[in-house]
Amino acid sequence: MTLNFLIAPDFAPERFAGWHMLNTTLQRRSGIGLHLLTPANAHEQAELLTAGKADLVYANPFDATDMIRTHGYLPFARPAQRYDEMVIATGAESGLSSVDDLKPGCRIALNENKDVKLIGLRLLEPADLTEALIEWVPVDSYQAAARRAIKGEVEASFFLADAFASLTRMTRSQLRVLVQSAISDISHVLLAHPRMAEQLPAIEKALLGLGQAAGDADVLEALGLPHGFEPMTQEEAEFMIDLMDTLLD
Amino acid sequence: MALPDMDPPSIPSIETRLTYTDSSSRTVYSTEVEVPFPEGRLIVSRTDLAGLITHANDAFVEMSGYPREELIGAPHHILRHPDMPKLAFKGLWDDVAAGKKWHGYVKNLRKDGACYWVYATAVPNIRNGVIVGYTSVRRKPSRTRIAELVPVYQQWLADEKAAS
Repeated sequence: MTLNFLIAPDFAPERFAGWHMLNTTLQRRSGIGLHLLTPANAHEQAELLTAGKADLVYANPFDATDMIRTHGYLPFARPAQRYDEMVIATGAESGLSSVDDLKPGCRIALNENKDVKLIGLRLLEPADLTEALIEWVPVDSYQAAARRAIKGEVEASFFLADAFASLTRMTRSQLRVLVQSAISDISHVLLAHPRMAEQLPAIEKALLGLGQAAGDADVLEALGLPHGFEPMTQEEAEFMIDLMDTLLD
Repeated sequence: MALPDMDPPSIPSIETRLTYTDSSSRTVYSTEVEVPFPEGRLIVSRTDLAGLITHANDAFVEMSGYPREELIGAPHHILRHPDMPKLAFKGLWDDVAAGKKWHGYVKNLRKDGACYWVYATAVPNIRNGVIVGYTSVRRKPSRTRIAELVPVYQQWLADEKAAS
């Protein structure tokens, strides 16, 4: 029996090999066949989830809300010491130095990451900026968001903090951070469909044991998750969902 | 749970006797000092059904000025500032107890008598259809909204004092 392992499409392209390495390692240690699903975007992910093809999911927190509360997915792990934070940055030459310098009608580039948008909107509130007062400029990558800000085509861009940190040093030197979130309570989540409850303990043991064997550090390094994974209880996931609920409006 | 009176700050302050919804009361001291909301962060706490704090994140502890061990088990009104009228919290407990979300701009009192403004949201923690507690998340508020609300809160407070 082979299970499908779906990875949320918001990881940096250079982590692609890391997810394949993790998949191989989990298969070997659990004795369970795993087929990796890497949808290219949120639309493809939604299609796979609707078709009921995801047994295991590495979900972003926004999607995890619906998967846990509506579809009964079981949370069991999360990246250790790795939270989903976001950055609002402007071009280094823009003359803007804080979120308060952004005014109604300003242009902000963002991709389809809903968590980044949600947290970003909350960080703009102190400047009296609401979603309707911003001219949103959709982009298909964080690199494109950076380019737009550097060229002055937008006043600011939204980034997942990890993605911002992954930009080249040259690119980052041409950007200025206006604000960075430091929430420390919102993270990606490992979820299991209830139908695989029987296989879950073996997968869980293999995943949480990562970091103890020779070569594990290479896998975790390739994933950009050097501290590996830690257990996450149902209540811890529910707590995170309640917290995200407060950020919706 | 009755809270002990606050210690007077070392700088000039206003002394007020506050009476809370559970009928307990204590003396608090408030100064003119306002501590800015920490950039990019959220203040998060949880309470049980009786309003006693069961969880406080690091930002909550830092901003309140109380050590964590003093906060856990204390009633959430430990943060109540004497400038806050009861009317500003109207609907808070009714809304969350009815399973709804509540929002409001709140001036909180620190242990040292200083204050900090927040935009607060409270939601019920619903597990298997039952409310088991409440989560409150405070984020950085709009100064424009605070400037609009300060005279409103002052009027409400004056009305409440006149009625009592």
